[in-house]
Amino acid sequence: MAEIAYKKASCAYAGADKLAVDSLDLDIMDGEFVVLVGPSGSGKSTALRMLAGLEEIDGGSIEIGGKNVVGVPSKDRDIAMVFQNYALYPNKTVGENMGFALKMRGVPTEERTRRVAEAAKILDLTDFLDRKPGKLSGGQRQRVAMGRAIVREPRVFCMDEPLSNLDAKLRVQTRTQIAALQRRLGTTTVYVTHDQVEAMTMGDRVAVLRDGKLQQFSTPTDLYDHPVNAFVAGFIGSPAMNLMTVPVVADGVRLGGSVLPLERDELAALASAGVDTVTIGLRPEQIGIETEPGSDGFAARVDLIEELGSESYLYAHLDDADVKGLDGDAASLVARSATRAPARIGDSIGLTRLDGPIHLFHPETGDRIEA
Amino acid sequence: MTTTTPTAPPPQESPTPLHEPRGVSRAEGWRRRGPLLPALVFAIVVTQIPFLFTLYYSTQSWNLVRPGSREFNGLDNYVDVFRDSQFREVAVNTVIMIGGTVIISVVLGLLLALLLDRQFRGRGIVRTLLITPFLVTPVAGALIWKTTMFDPVFGLINYVLSPFGVGEIDWVSRYPLAAVMTNLVWQWTPFMMLLILAGLQSMPKDIAEAARVDGAGPVKLFRELTLPHLRRFIELGTVLGAIYLVNTFDAVYMMTSGGPGVASSNLPYYIYQRAFLGFDVGQAAAMGVITVIATIAVSTLALRLIFKSFSGTEEAA
Amino acid sequence: MSTTTTTRPETVDETVRPRRRTQGIGWSALAWIVGIGFFFPVLWMVITGFKQEADAYTDPPTVFFTPTLDQFREVLDSGIGTTLLNSVFATTVSTLLVLLLGIPAAFALSLRPVRKTKDVLFFFISTKMLPVVAAIVPLYVIVGDIGLLDNIWALVILYTAMNLPIAVWMMRSFFLEVPSELLEAASMDGASLWTSVREVILPLVSPGIAATALICVIFSWNEFFFAVNLTAVQAQTIPVFLVGFITGQGLYWAQLSAAATLSALPVVLAGWVAQNKLVRGLSFGAIK
Repeated sequence: MAEIAYKKASCAYAGADKLAVDSLDLDIMDGEFVVLVGPSGSGKSTALRMLAGLEEIDGGSIEIGGKNVVGVPSKDRDIAMVFQNYALYPNKTVGENMGFALKMRGVPTEERTRRVAEAAKILDLTDFLDRKPGKLSGGQRQRVAMGRAIVREPRVFCMDEPLSNLDAKLRVQTRTQIAALQRRLGTTTVYVTHDQVEAMTMGDRVAVLRDGKLQQFSTPTDLYDHPVNAFVAGFIGSPAMNLMTVPVVADGVRLGGSVLPLERDELAALASAGVDTVTIGLRPEQIGIETEPGSDGFAARVDLIEELGSESYLYAHLDDADVKGLDGDAASLVARSATRAPARIGDSIGLTRLDGPIHLFHPETGDRIEA
Repeated sequence: MTTTTPTAPPPQESPTPLHEPRGVSRAEGWRRRGPLLPALVFAIVVTQIPFLFTLYYSTQSWNLVRPGSREFNGLDNYVDVFRDSQFREVAVNTVIMIGGTVIISVVLGLLLALLLDRQFRGRGIVRTLLITPFLVTPVAGALIWKTTMFDPVFGLINYVLSPFGVGEIDWVSRYPLAAVMTNLVWQWTPFMMLLILAGLQSMPKDIAEAARVDGAGPVKLFRELTLPHLRRFIELGTVLGAIYLVNTFDAVYMMTSGGPGVASSNLPYYIYQRAFLGFDVGQAAAMGVITVIATIAVSTLALRLIFKSFSGTEEAA
Repeated sequence: MSTTTTTRPETVDETVRPRRRTQGIGWSALAWIVGIGFFFPVLWMVITGFKQEADAYTDPPTVFFTPTLDQFREVLDSGIGTTLLNSVFATTVSTLLVLLLGIPAAFALSLRPVRKTKDVLFFFISTKMLPVVAAIVPLYVIVGDIGLLDNIWALVILYTAMNLPIAVWMMRSFFLEVPSELLEAASMDGASLWTSVREVILPLVSPGIAATALICVIFSWNEFFFAVNLTAVQAQTIPVFLVGFITGQGLYWAQLSAAATLSALPVVLAGWVAQNKLVRGLSFGAIK
């Protein structure tokens, strides 16, 4: 069985006091596809490399299949890794690259050839088995890197941003292939990326990391609907959730001159949290656009419109300068529209809150305030 | 699919204790140093032991021609050497020889590298021709220059220059140091050229393109972009070239035997003369020690500078 | 919204010659002139080797003549055999020793960084900075005491020590070029350190090692100072042999030229053939 458990695992930067990974706790089930996501410097790659044995586990432990692997060298952990830059052996052919690990284990040539051929068939590499990596395209090289991992039939796949060197279209294509492959093979997979779209589409569960600390570990939808703090809320979802810090008033929150009303239980939660300002979060699809003059809604001016063909995004800033975004500048909001050209640049519009939850976060800690 | 209730991770209690501190264990350290040892030991034994002996000999008055004259005489040899005006002249010659050769061959090498940095028909052949002087046995090279080029009667230089009214100049006798340096420059320019060419070809093209779009002409481009980038290579060439040139012996031996007098002698040749032709081991040793100290002093400075520029900030390439 | 129509551009059938070609002719010509100029002394030397003595030193220099192989034959007859063997022996064995000692050293200094790597490197380079002249007397005495005077092994050892620093420095830079990801992949694939070295590192580094070997060959073959002082008859190497031609034979230019040509020939040819490797090796500074 290949469950993985990070138990307060920590890793320190060489020669510094700062921890690259800080007391990470993760329980990954056998066969699960888990994505580690976060901005650069969040420690996600380090956490992966700790699992693979390429970084020291300085604190806590990591267990694979129930066995602690601290101190166990990489080759004994039965893990296959796909590197960001593929790390293919340049002087060996594709077939030799894929069979190298088996050769190291002393697998007889016949069986080796067979397994390599099988993996090559799955990945559509059969025609390239005799070529050297230098003569392959980026996408082909990526597949060889995957093939090298598959052939080993390991307990765990580790993938370190394997798609980041591909062009956009290939990335989307390969994304689905990897997900399908993993489902077919059923191997526990830990996948690192900085792209939250990849995380959302590929992972059974996603762990969001920041500055070496785990923020939230849950299913994609759960991360989207119930982000546990303002960081996760702003990280997951594209375009990002609108976040603003506003004062609390009697029946809602004050957005400049007007009041955005809140539900009773939301107000009660705010009261028990004892805060007089709060960071509210609204997803773009929860903001409505009123273009008729004299309509309801918070007055705003259109800055930019992004037309995607199937929908459009409207970027506007509130007329009221008192409302500040999280960075301290005047609040700028993104609203989603299902129609084309909802307005023009420079127009004055009204923004309304549509049905749906509003997210409340503590103005200082960023933690979720639960209604 | 289990859904975990969204709770923020528990607040940080006392920091989790770490395992052994980062760093390499002692056993691993020795294992890592292991492969280095044979080479290190070999180098130390073969190079340092003779030098220690040289130090020892420098305190002896020992002339091989007079057996039994060997006795400790402290620093007398050093005093003699410092009083020796010829030694001073030779030291100056050495500095001129090294400095002049390095500077000229670097400049020439730079010009040649610039010429070769373009695509043109037969570029490979030209490069082949240009590196030949570096490959030719220095003794043979010195010989060629002395005889076929510089010879007063039959040499090519005089022949080529005769239309300009140049008579039968005996270059080697009249300008001995310059003659030797000509040979050395001929020999070492290819080396500098190759290094600088490597530097030119490793220059990232997009920076040059950006500069051109920004309005930099070729001269400006060269001065602001190319030269700074080449600095590393020029420094490397200078250091390596100087290291090898300190030991120049073949050219002096073959072309001028240091003469006339000591006009073209450099330290290695002078010491050689003192030891093997004058048989004064003690003095030769003292001169050797002085040379070593001087070399180390100068090059320590230079090398630390070089290492700094190497492992220091890399240009944004 | 206006509709834009796209039309396929008509292909104009015109041979467009890149303009640059005509512009650079001046510089190319200059490059050729300089190249030939630098090569000329060597060329003249080779040509003179084919002349009769009478043609060799004339004023003005003879350009047209009937070539002869007499000079070369005479040089070859005068006992070049053992000398050649000596040079080949000293060069090959010392280069092999340099590789044997230097590759592990370069490895230790690059892939598994040791504390004080810089200091060790500096020490290696400093051994080259000692003017060898300073040590020649004790070396003469020591070599004599060991009984290795006029023995080719003395040269082998000295040449190894002479070339080791540069070789270590060069090879270290080649080792540093191996991306660490490759080594990690190999270790994940289950390769021990030794196997990784053999299967992954060495193939990648082999051009660099070849370049280093070539540099060692060049310096060893051409070395004169140690050879002339520490050998006499039996262990004589080619450069010494060449010098012998001068003192012994007086002013026989054609023969001298033939001897010089033969002396320089092997290394020049090797350098020409492996030119790219040589350039690669010399530009190692480009990397680290």
